[in-house]
Order: sequence, then structure tokens, then C-alpha cells
Amino acid sequence: MRRVFDTGNAAITEAAIVAGCRVFAGYPITPATEIAENMARRLPEVGGYYVQAEDECAALHLCNGASLGGLKAMTATSGPGFILFADPFGWAVSAEIPVVIVDAQRVGPVSGITGAPGQGELYLSRYLAHGGNYETIVLAPSSVQEAFRLTVRAFALAERFRTPVTLLADQMVTDGWEALAIPETSDERAAMGLEVVPRRAHPGPDFYPASDAIDVPPVVLGRGAGGACSDWTPTERGHDTEEVEAQHKHAHRLIHKIRRHRHLIDEHEAWGLEDDPEVILVSYGTPSRVVKSAVARARAEGLRVGGLRLVSLWPFPDHLFARRARYLSVELNWDGQLVREIQRAMSPGSSAHFFGRCGELPRVAELCEASRALLRGERLARRGWELEAY
Amino acid sequence: MDPLAGKYLRPEKWPGTACPGCGLRLLHREVLTAIDALGLGPSDLVWGTAIGCTGRQTYATWRGDTFAGTHGRVYALATGLRLALPREKRILLTVGDGDAFTIGLPHLLAAARRNVDLTVVVGDNLGYQSTGGQYGVTTPAGSRTDSSPYGTWEPGWSDGGLDVLGIVREAGASFLARHTVLQRDAVVESVKAALGTRGFSLVQVVYGCHVHYGAQALGDGTVGAIQGWIRARTVPLEPGPAPEVAPAGFRTGVFHDARGARPEFTERLRDHVAAVRARAGRTS
Repeated sequence: MRRVFDTGNAAITEAAIVAGCRVFAGYPITPATEIAENMARRLPEVGGYYVQAEDECAALHLCNGASLGGLKAMTATSGPGFILFADPFGWAVSAEIPVVIVDAQRVGPVSGITGAPGQGELYLSRYLAHGGNYETIVLAPSSVQEAFRLTVRAFALAERFRTPVTLLADQMVTDGWEALAIPETSDERAAMGLEVVPRRAHPGPDFYPASDAIDVPPVVLGRGAGGACSDWTPTERGHDTEEVEAQHKHAHRLIHKIRRHRHLIDEHEAWGLEDDPEVILVSYGTPSRVVKSAVARARAEGLRVGGLRLVSLWPFPDHLFARRARYLSVELNWDGQLVREIQRAMSPGSSAHFFGRCGELPRVAELCEASRALLRGERLARRGWELEAY
Repeated sequence: MDPLAGKYLRPEKWPGTACPGCGLRLLHREVLTAIDALGLGPSDLVWGTAIGCTGRQTYATWRGDTFAGTHGRVYALATGLRLALPREKRILLTVGDGDAFTIGLPHLLAAARRNVDLTVVVGDNLGYQSTGGQYGVTTPAGSRTDSSPYGTWEPGWSDGGLDVLGIVREAGASFLARHTVLQRDAVVESVKAALGTRGFSLVQVVYGCHVHYGAQALGDGTVGAIQGWIRARTVPLEPGPAPEVAPAGFRTGVFHDARGARPEFTERLRDHVAAVRARAGRTS
């Protein structure tokens, strides 16, 4: 085990190498540039390829092409580049090509503030491709070590589900420095629960089976299988078709291969839910570290407060909101994104509330105060520009 | 079935989606003739396409491996694929003029700059035809189309001394040619040369859309009319800037031949990786 003190960006790089990533194509952007820099240094050492693309759209297409040729690939960006992934992301979803995408969320909208954390891309990560008719996998790390683990996991899920998997990080995770343990042997990887799924190639001829099975190898070109692969609605052989029935089968496969096997994806952490708390603080990424402290402090005061940290964001874990409670969504944005999903998923009799902050973390005391207000049955109100909880 | 198509194409995909009489089907056969002359088989070549008339006609016709990218992005996709394939596998991309010279031009130029071992055959139907006939950057100046009902007013890549192949040449391409689809032997020879190029090569083949461009701009939607019109406007390439031939001239011939002059993208990258590993004491 190699123990270092380093950034989330470094953790993601080393994890990708461990997972077998041998191609990285990217475009410099704060706060994800360091991943590209680290990859440019590390990939040649392991016989891999770093390519600096002409833009983010090309970067992900390059990764898709490398994966189509049988090499595991990753790209990394932040909001302004993430939006440019829309085209190649959709291509990989429909063509069912494994690829890993990192989005280090910063403050928006658009270019916003480059060097501060935001959480404005929850919905973009779900609906990045146009046209609907798919489900997707998004994982959210909240520490450097977890960024390492989830990057390895993202590669494994991408292979098993043959789809792009997004690591939705934030600037504090990617730029933040923490202790990091990097496994160096397969035993150490196994001890850390890390699974590396090797690339396999579909033998053909039915590259796009009408089924929601997983562990179907992807199309790999150059192996003589007569592969056919595109973003058009495919027949089972991969030929383009305008048949509505073929589209039904394809869309159902893209949606249900993920939804039916979501138990292999779902991951969360719960604090103090065992004694039926009245108020549950919900978060993901870096803010969840403040939430954890706030829940501990509130419970020490005897308040009936619990916490949920979402690790897998999509498919959205509706089942976590089955209990009747007052949910407080703590997010790094002012518009409220996660809270909308909670509103949709929560059981009857529950209520959903929002605590927004952006570019900086909320304070433990603020979250405790918001929890006390909810326990008193008060609505959270936005007061001027000062306390933006409502 | 056409014997060449029978030899190389998936039977259920021939004669394809092109309209009756379309020059695109001639182009499809010319490309197969070049492949046949080089003695290539289905496992020697990966055939990529994009969207539009050319993409629809050619996608998944090849018996070997085949793929299609999104509009204008297939050059980046193919660059990534090139990284993963052994050097002896050829990559052929059949695309349209809109794909190569408008929406995809930055990616195409990046592939030329890197000298990625790709062969691009541009089926030039003089505008956006699968969407019903709108002008594009290869539509001759002044043409009446569905999106230029009073005639085009902005210059295209072939007007007023401009030539898009000049840009691709300056970007670093290894081999460039332009022909009309009626110059069958020349197209075959250029596609052969392009497929034999270790680097970025492109052959632009003007065929014109008789259904839309012919009917809208020429006032005659027959195959004979557009073929006669293309023949009358075909001029040999001369060195120097493009002459203004009213209303349009197709300057045909080998535009640029610098085969072997610059290292290929993956060779350069593999050398770089090998050098890094050698410095670190690793063997590849």
C-alpha cells in the first residue's frame, strides 16, 4: 500500500490507472486540469496514451473511439466542458460504449467562479444526452480516498453495463488535499473492495440484444467480428433502422439494463436513521461532511435529527425517502436541485426543505439551527442575502 | 446484385438509401473498386461514416467492422479508434460536405494537423440534401435552394478564390484530391493513393444532388441535367489560388501529395511513450 498526501485529482488519476485506463483525452479547465496533467505524466509510464483534444466534445469522442477499439478511456472536465460532452455522451449511451467521465463541479451558471465548489450539474449529469430514452449511472465522492474508490468502481460499472459512467465531484474534492492509500497489489485491491473488470469484446453478430441483461460485452472493432456501431436506432446486428419496434427494444434496453440491476449501483451512507428522526438532512459530495458533523451535534443535543449521504445519485434512490420525515436538502447551489428529486420521491406526509450555499460550505451551526427550526415546525425563510435557507 | 457489392457489402444493405440515379451510389462503387484493386478484405479496413446522405448510404454496408459518428465528430472518434487499432488496419470515413467542411471542420483540421492515419472520402452533393435541399459551404455562389430562395449571398469554400482543400493542406494533410464522380478512373486512383497513405488523406468527390439541387438551382431535377452541368463546370487543377469560374468550377485533380513527409500521429505518440518508458527503465 502506498500512502501519500495528495489531491482528489491525483486520486482519480491513480485510480484510473489501477482500473486499467490507458487513454485519457482532455482539455484544460479549472478545477479538473490537474487530472489531465497527472494523466499526461502517468499514462506513458504504463504504456498508455494522453491526447490533448481540440475541445471537450472531441475529448470525449476520442475516448469513445479508443474504447470502441478496446482500450479503457476516461476524460475529466468542469461545467463549461461538461456541457460540450453532450454530443459524445449521447453517442456512447446509445452505442453502449464503456467510458468514464469526471465532472469537477464549480460555481455556475456557466463560467461562474472557477476555483470554488458548486453543485449545479445534478440534472445535467442525468439528462446530458438529448432525446431521453435512457438511464444513466452517476457517482459522487466526498473525499480524496472515496474519489479513488469510486473511480475504480466507475470503470467496473461502465464495463458491466456498457455505458458511460459519470463521477460527479466538486472542486473541494478534486482540489482538496487529504491522506490517500493507493493499493499496489491485487490482494490490497481486494481488501479495499475494489473490483477491476477487464475489457471483453462482443463476438457478434447480435451486438444489440433485445434484453436488459448486463455483462454483455461491448462492440470492439478491429477484431474481425463484423461489428456495427452507431448512434442510430440499431437492429440487433447494429444496423441503422427506422423501425419503431426496434426503437422500443433499444430504449427499453438502455433504461432497464440499469434500472433492473440498480442494486449493483445503489450506495449511500446513513446517520442516525435507526431511531426514526423527524428531520433528515440529505446531501452528497463535500457538503455531506458538514452535514455529518451537524447531525452528530444535533443528536448530542438530543434532537431527533438524522442524515443521508447519497453516493450513487442516478438512478435516483427513491427508496431512501420512503420514511415519513421532514427532509432538508443541503446543496451547493441557490436554485435547489436535489430537493426537487426528494420532493418527487418522498412518501406522503413528508415535507422537503432546501438549504442552499454556493462557492463555500455551510457551517455546522447553521445546519443545526435550520434543523431546530424544522423540528419546531417552522418554515425556513430566505432573509435578504444573508441567510439563504428557505 | 452488383458483383463488387456482393463481394464486399452486406447484402441486406445494398443498394442502400440513396435516391434512384444518385451519384452517391456511383461513388460507393468507386470506393469499392479502389478497395478491390488494392486487394483489401473485410478484416483489413474499418469503415466509418457520419450522418446525412453519405452516412445513410454507406453505414454498415461494409462486411467488416463499421461505425457511424455524430454529425461532424467522426474525425475525433476515429482518432481515438486509431490509437487502439494495429497500424495495418486502415480506417476509411465516408462523409458529406456539411460534415467535413462545416460542422466538423475543426475536428477534421485537428486530424490533419496530427496527421492521423485516416482516409476521408467526402461525398459532395453541394449542400444539405437529406434535409430537403439547403445551401452549404460547397453550394456554388448565387444558387437558389430551399434556404436561399433568392440565391445564396455569402461566399462558400469554393467562391472568390477560396478553396477549403487549401486549408486542409496548410493544416498538415498528407494527401488531398478532388474529382467529380463522373471521373471514375481518377476517383479510383485517388482513393487507392489515399488508402495507401500513412497519414491523413482526403478525397473530395463532387456528385451533386439531382433531386434537390438540380430541381431548385438548375431548374431540372433529372440525372442527365446535373451530370451535364457538372461536366461543363469541371476544370483541371492549376497551381495557385482558385480562379473564379462563374458560376462555379470544380477544380479537379490531385491537390496535394506529401505522402511520407510528416510522421503519423500514432507512430509519433508510440515513439513518445516508448521514450518515456525507456527513460524510466521500463520495457514496452
